[in-house]
Amino acid sequence: MKLEEHLKQYFNYTAFRTGQKEVISSILDGNHTVAMLPTGTGKSLCYQLSGYLLNGPVVIISPLLSLMQDQTEQLMMNGEKRVIAFNSFLTSMEKNQALSQLDTYKFIFLSPEMLKSDFILNRLKELQIALFVIDEAHCISQWGYDFRPDYLRLGDFRRELGNPLTLALTATATQEVKEEVISSLGLIKWNEYIYSVDRPNIALAVEVVDSYQDKSDRLVELVQTLEGPGIVYFSSKKMAEKMAIQLKRYGTNRVMAYHGGMEQENRVLIQQQFLHDQLDVICATSAFGMGINKENIRYVIHFHMPLQLESYLQEIGRAGRDGLKSIALLLYSPGDEQLPYQLAEGELPSKEQLDFVYRLLEENKDLIKDLAERDNEVRSLSGLTEIQWRLVEDYLFRNTDKPVQQRFEQLKDFINERLQVKRKKINEMLIWTQTQLNGCRRKNILKYFEEDKTIEINDCCDQCGIDLTVFYSKTDNHKSADNFFDWKKHLAKILLVSERD
Amino acid sequence: MMKNSFLSMIILYCLHKINGERTVYSILHLLNGKKSSQTIQDAHFFHLTSFFCTFPLLKRVELEMLIDLLKKQGFISQYKEQSYYVTPVGVKRLSEYFKSNPIPANLNGWKYHNLAVVFWERLSLAVQVISQLKNHNSKYLPIQKSKELHQWLKDYLYKRKLSKDELADQLYDELVGCLETIDDLDPSILVKRLTGYQIIGLTESQAADQFDMDVDAYHIQFLGLLHYMLERVGTKQRDFPLLSYMIEDKKRDASLTESSHRTLNLLQSGYTLDEIAHMRNLKKNTIEDHLVEIALNIPYFDVSAFVNLDKQQKIKKAINSVTSKQLKHIRELVPDADYFEIRLVLAQGGEKK
Repeated sequence: MKLEEHLKQYFNYTAFRTGQKEVISSILDGNHTVAMLPTGTGKSLCYQLSGYLLNGPVVIISPLLSLMQDQTEQLMMNGEKRVIAFNSFLTSMEKNQALSQLDTYKFIFLSPEMLKSDFILNRLKELQIALFVIDEAHCISQWGYDFRPDYLRLGDFRRELGNPLTLALTATATQEVKEEVISSLGLIKWNEYIYSVDRPNIALAVEVVDSYQDKSDRLVELVQTLEGPGIVYFSSKKMAEKMAIQLKRYGTNRVMAYHGGMEQENRVLIQQQFLHDQLDVICATSAFGMGINKENIRYVIHFHMPLQLESYLQEIGRAGRDGLKSIALLLYSPGDEQLPYQLAEGELPSKEQLDFVYRLLEENKDLIKDLAERDNEVRSLSGLTEIQWRLVEDYLFRNTDKPVQQRFEQLKDFINERLQVKRKKINEMLIWTQTQLNGCRRKNILKYFEEDKTIEINDCCDQCGIDLTVFYSKTDNHKSADNFFDWKKHLAKILLVSERD
Repeated sequence: MMKNSFLSMIILYCLHKINGERTVYSILHLLNGKKSSQTIQDAHFFHLTSFFCTFPLLKRVELEMLIDLLKKQGFISQYKEQSYYVTPVGVKRLSEYFKSNPIPANLNGWKYHNLAVVFWERLSLAVQVISQLKNHNSKYLPIQKSKELHQWLKDYLYKRKLSKDELADQLYDELVGCLETIDDLDPSILVKRLTGYQIIGLTESQAADQFDMDVDAYHIQFLGLLHYMLERVGTKQRDFPLLSYMIEDKKRDASLTESSHRTLNLLQSGYTLDEIAHMRNLKKNTIEDHLVEIALNIPYFDVSAFVNLDKQQKIKKAINSVTSKQLKHIRELVPDADYFEIRLVLAQGGEKK
């Protein structure tokens, strides 16, 4: 059967998107494969369809929790029940049960910290793994923003599993990142499929405003005039909520906030309302968007600048999946870079927190022996988040032959290094927003990923010149909810196919 | 005049009912649904059972801010530390407010606070899944994510032995039949929240917005509708088989706390209070609290094993002659009764003073 027929059979699509067919063919021919496909082009389909056509389970290492949740949900929505995700959401009972029937799953997702578990490794060794996938592979590079020491184990883990057929997937990787991914996985021979990160149908614009007030006014204006649906990204939950209320006050009725701090039930409802065009605008944090397959998003506005160009590309990549003209707009007011610097620091343990943990271990000598069981205690005393704690724990358990103090010194060095990388990333983002003198924004973002701009595009970017009116709404943006509501008719619409008398 | 939030009016209402005999924090415990004997007893004495556990997430500071506001508006006046009585202005405001914003007649937090949560989770998921089944669509995101709930639904659908169409038709008929008889609330309040095939339900705050209501006022009406449904489904199970199966496994007397329930079982097996305290490794005080809770909740529970009939009479007389419900005042009239005995008799009298 031809690949297209399998695509139809398993996913009910009629055609592949850019790169998918090449990548899948490479895997099915038994080649280790490194693939760089731009956001919004269906990367996960590459391992999903390959998985169905190979014998045995697919193991996917997925670095971001929310992404893993979205991908398992997507598979289940597609009718696949043989899916399991090993991450911190799983209770130990659920985990043990899943491990005892591991051979019944087709898709096994692992978060990076699971690479530490010998128990999981040993159970996986008993399986004939058909495909080993590293999703968002740029994360495993030290040059990547989200690098965590857990990833260093990836190469050993893969070797222990007998070097199974491997696929490394990413949307955005610079040359040095790509090389590091390949060497850390220990690949000797592999096929590479690199596609441009460019999305020519998305116009790029940065607007500089003088103050916070101007920015907020401009946002209201943009949302009122641009053709929707659209997403506005914020770096803070509070701001996302505040601006959603503001937009409503100015007459945009079908707008809601979305962030990780909301109740699960509400999050699902709002996400689904947006998908079903019951909402026009979402004021969101980066928690929104992963795995959302909405084709007709016409604009993505950034109220705060992201912490790196890679994230920026991912987030604006949610626009225009249908291939139609869309716009990405970043609003910048002087001093905006302070927030990313603060956020970056907050992601790592502070010096004070480290000193506190060190003193705690000094004063309670037996604590370090029981650390694995008492980690919650230490975490809550020191106020470390789960990811921060994992860093600390990793350094404490590694190099156990060295004195504790020395391990802490090493950890501090590591954190300093991480901070440098993160600051560098923010700086690159900042420079990109300020390119008034250096020309085309598309050219600059492509240069960052070592690509050349090869085609001329209408409405390319604010530097080349954009006709913003192209993106203006043709209809009235003040759509309001239906005023007349008949509850029996509504219930009939939900439960009965045709209305009865 | 400044506009008062619905919640501040509920608090004013509660303050009016407790009439300075308890601190403001007793209201917090009541609205949070704290399962202590004191809170449960107060809810009954002061006729506030309908509000039990209606705002489980209300925080201390929020309550304090609302109390401050009520004080500034002159609706309440401090009586002693943490205790207030409602001023005549406040009483007038209360009756005006609730004339135009009546409390749902069927609101019954005490009886349904647990059941309503389960019922809504199950009902909303069942409606969504049955709607998708009916439209032959298997690709959708369930609005409830708990695996336990999904498993429940699977069993539920399997055991009904109805076709997809029959299920949907019957659920429609039952929902309409159940909701159309309510006269003080608009069923849209609940129906707008339901999700089905290509129709996504509203969140609580969205629905409140659409009805142009304070979100807390909306919340109480939504609960009122759920409680109404539960009452009706509970009394007319035969008319609503699909709906009543949704809560069939949850009907154990939900009004007793787990711990009191165990004490009751031991009592019925013939153990004495001291023995139960010893067996359960609890203080005797705690077991006495359980007993008060049992007397409050189980009609016809015989307390004469703990207070003899003669003493019961004396205590009842004392209760009727004092205006306050403070135990201290009652005890002054019946010096040979202890607090436990007075509480038991009060509890048995329940709300009919």
